Amino acid sequence: MLLNKEKWPEFVEKLIGKNLWAPKLEGEAMRFALVAEGEEVSLEYGNTRVPPKGTAFPQTETMYRFQLGNTDMQEPKLEEERILLGVRPCDARAMAIIEKLFRWDYDDPYFLKRREMLTLVGLACNDPGLNCFCPSVGGAPDSAEGLDLLMYDLGDSFLMESVTTKGEALLAETKELLTDSDADAVKTKEKLFADAGAKIKRTVDHIGIPEGLPGLWEDPLWRRVSASCIGCATCTYLCPTCHCFDIQDEVEGFEARRCRMWDSCMFEEYTLHTSGHNTRPTRRERTRNRINHKYSYYVDKFDVIACVGCGRCINLCPVNIDIVEILRQVKEELQ
Amino acid sequence: MDLEQLRKTAAEVVARDDVKYLIGWKKGSYGSRVAPAFVEDAASVIELIFSPSCTANLATYLTLVEKTPLPRGQETDKRKVALMAKGCDSRAVVQLLVEKGIHREDVIVIGCPCPGMIDQSLLAGKYGDTEERSEVRWNGKDFTLVRGGDEIEIPRNDVLAEKCRLCRHPNPVISDYLIGEAVKEWDPAEDSGVGELEAKDVDGRGDYWEGQFSRCVRCYSCRNVCPLCYCQDCILDRLNPTWINRAVNFSENTAFNISRAFHLAGRCIECGECERVCPANIPLGKINRKMAREVREKYGFEPGLDPDAEPFQASFKPDDPEDFIL
Amino acid sequence: MTADNPYIPYFATIEDSWFETGGDRCIKTFKVVFDDPAVRDSWNHKPGQCAMIGVLGEGESMISISCSPTEGKFLRFSVMKMGKVTQALHKLEAGDKMTVRGPYGNSFPVDDWQGKKILTIGGGIGQAPLRPIVEFVKSNREKYAGLTMIYGARSAGDLCFKGEFDQMSKRDDLSCHLTIDIEEEGWDHNVGFVPQMLLDLNPSPENTIAVTCGPPIMIRFVLENLKKLGFSDEQVYTTLENRMKCGIGKCGRCNAGCMYVCKDGPVFSYSVLKDIPEAFA
Repeated sequence: MLLNKEKWPEFVEKLIGKNLWAPKLEGEAMRFALVAEGEEVSLEYGNTRVPPKGTAFPQTETMYRFQLGNTDMQEPKLEEERILLGVRPCDARAMAIIEKLFRWDYDDPYFLKRREMLTLVGLACNDPGLNCFCPSVGGAPDSAEGLDLLMYDLGDSFLMESVTTKGEALLAETKELLTDSDADAVKTKEKLFADAGAKIKRTVDHIGIPEGLPGLWEDPLWRRVSASCIGCATCTYLCPTCHCFDIQDEVEGFEARRCRMWDSCMFEEYTLHTSGHNTRPTRRERTRNRINHKYSYYVDKFDVIACVGCGRCINLCPVNIDIVEILRQVKEELQ
Repeated sequence: MDLEQLRKTAAEVVARDDVKYLIGWKKGSYGSRVAPAFVEDAASVIELIFSPSCTANLATYLTLVEKTPLPRGQETDKRKVALMAKGCDSRAVVQLLVEKGIHREDVIVIGCPCPGMIDQSLLAGKYGDTEERSEVRWNGKDFTLVRGGDEIEIPRNDVLAEKCRLCRHPNPVISDYLIGEAVKEWDPAEDSGVGELEAKDVDGRGDYWEGQFSRCVRCYSCRNVCPLCYCQDCILDRLNPTWINRAVNFSENTAFNISRAFHLAGRCIECGECERVCPANIPLGKINRKMAREVREKYGFEPGLDPDAEPFQASFKPDDPEDFIL
Repeated sequence: MTADNPYIPYFATIEDSWFETGGDRCIKTFKVVFDDPAVRDSWNHKPGQCAMIGVLGEGESMISISCSPTEGKFLRFSVMKMGKVTQALHKLEAGDKMTVRGPYGNSFPVDDWQGKKILTIGGGIGQAPLRPIVEFVKSNREKYAGLTMIYGARSAGDLCFKGEFDQMSKRDDLSCHLTIDIEEEGWDHNVGFVPQMLLDLNPSPENTIAVTCGPPIMIRFVLENLKKLGFSDEQVYTTLENRMKCGIGKCGRCNAGCMYVCKDGPVFSYSVLKDIPEAFA
């Protein structure tokens, strides 16, 4: 289906009543937030600063509430459906990738419930960012994986392709704003997104890396690439596939909750035992774990690289630690 | 900047038996980015650079070294660390000396007089960015961006980092080697950011910071990058008792950011690193510069200038103003 | 542990508790019974598995279940007083409640070991995960060709389950060997480190499974010495612990290489473990 851009405000308006979240400018950075007014929605962005993974895996969430001395535990009600508009294909793929972990033997009720209530409306990338490398890791500027509906910006209109029944339903609800697509539109789309793919300059050659990485355990490269790391969580918190968390109890008077919050393998205390022993005592081990987890362990367990090539960790690392460059060095050592 | 002199000096320094490595800058992986370089041998000095992209303060690495338990019989590596330091970086070194966070004999300062650094996000915003490597140079008055085959003249104030606009000490305040000649100091711009905040009433300031701190993702990049945030045991990491909950919300985020600002009062040397690295674009510089301004105007104290000074928060003078005490 | 939320714990009441050792890092054992009779009946753990136990308002810790299912419809945990959660647990007495969820992780393949001689080598609190094997084998003694225990601690006061060892030493269908690091008055067993005692006893590797748990440095030398004695990697088992939060393979921190200790472990045969780079970090 086609949505003429003139109808765009109406389209957004229709979705606003349905708990619509879209990229909004907050400070100087784009971030997914609840939309109250249609004008707030901006599709003029590469990637949001913080990935939308928080809509299924919030940075902090209550697991259950209780009162001290009482055995009643109240789980939060997760019933609010939500539409995410303008999700980039890499971020949607990331949701699909981490879902594998959240389904591994034990279903994680929080992630899965939140995920189920999301409708992801994607926006294919006409103009990928300079540190994007999604095609190298199984994605594409127009990948539909993980999305319910994908929009392609054709200039004057959006070509809308549903991916799931949720997507179809959304198209049905807005059908008075849509027109049938035609062969020209499809042709334009194919041309545009072949061009978009060609704009991506950064590449990772991962062939052999998942199997080879553990063999480089003591390689000097880890010291080299981690020397300048300051040990912050920018790379992991802003990563759409990083999914590690901590669990803490918060008590105020007799009211208490057990909650979980994002945690980062780049923090020193992440693996610190109470005895003082740390299984990953320096940033060398922690950096090695980050790369191994994404490019080897996750592949081993779930058969997919836990990196979607969104480039955030490269763009935002305060000291220019660049995963593409690390993987190039890994590859070099393997050859 | 005389690169030849820099590399020659660096080669001499790293060749010494009592030097572990030199911390400087090298070309980064894309665009006009630079990256910290840890140079261990004379052959590697060729990668050292000093350009308007060297905005980061490398002094943080002096205290960021992780000390793991030594295998029996092995001795601590007591060799010196050499550091390329601009004016602001050298102030961090001095403040660390004052606090005895490091000892003078442990560090060799390669002073780099600084004509002013760029703000990468301003540059990218106004002049675009490329995957392909580019370079920014000083051209006397302004900057030149060398990209592809082009040389683009960039007016200094278009992309000058805020900390440099406000800079009062562009020349290293301490150094063992000085590369090139001292630069002529410029008139620091009015700190309009802090001024605007001061003009707000208490509620206005509260609203302002609420908006800012609610965006904090608590990645702790500001704490980790700060050369003067180097407690071995940070209250943020403490679980027992838990001083600041790990939950990310306005209250805990504020507790974190305010604690850090208080701990830096009279110590912050205004290198702007906290603000530069913040992935949520929180203007942390404003809060720290406000504290610095208070200390400077009320107590006539400016940290990181005199290695023999007493630490501000540990010194008392009978005539210290006390009008803020209720 | 409701059907749809594995993070919700069960409540269990402490039936009995006692201190195994003294000092700052004392070890307290809790015998607990689930409050819900249905849970009590359906709960089914195997030797080597762990559970997340905790105190609401303080947190949870992964602790190995130190009893064998053959002992009865209760659970035992031996907890060393270390951090926030274990300090809170130590304050609990008989009649108090703790939270329990699990059982988690894999287990010692005790069924596959039938017909073999079992050798356990423990140090300090490391005896806790070995105790279920000992109890399981004792209850099914006729199915196993032998049971030998080596157990050591810094001093006599640091040994766990002393009364049980005293009882066991009277039996002639198993043998136990106790050792402490430094000579002390009234001690009539061996003095010396566990790995050395293993060498001195010189057990035959033939048809034997060796299981070890204790401080990392002890495990390292025990593994070396088992090799010297002719044990193959497949005959040697150990159990790991790492910092954990969720216990069900989600939170991410307990991995040693590609292995999640909470799910792929905690029990590993040395033939697997030796190729995991981080296992002994």
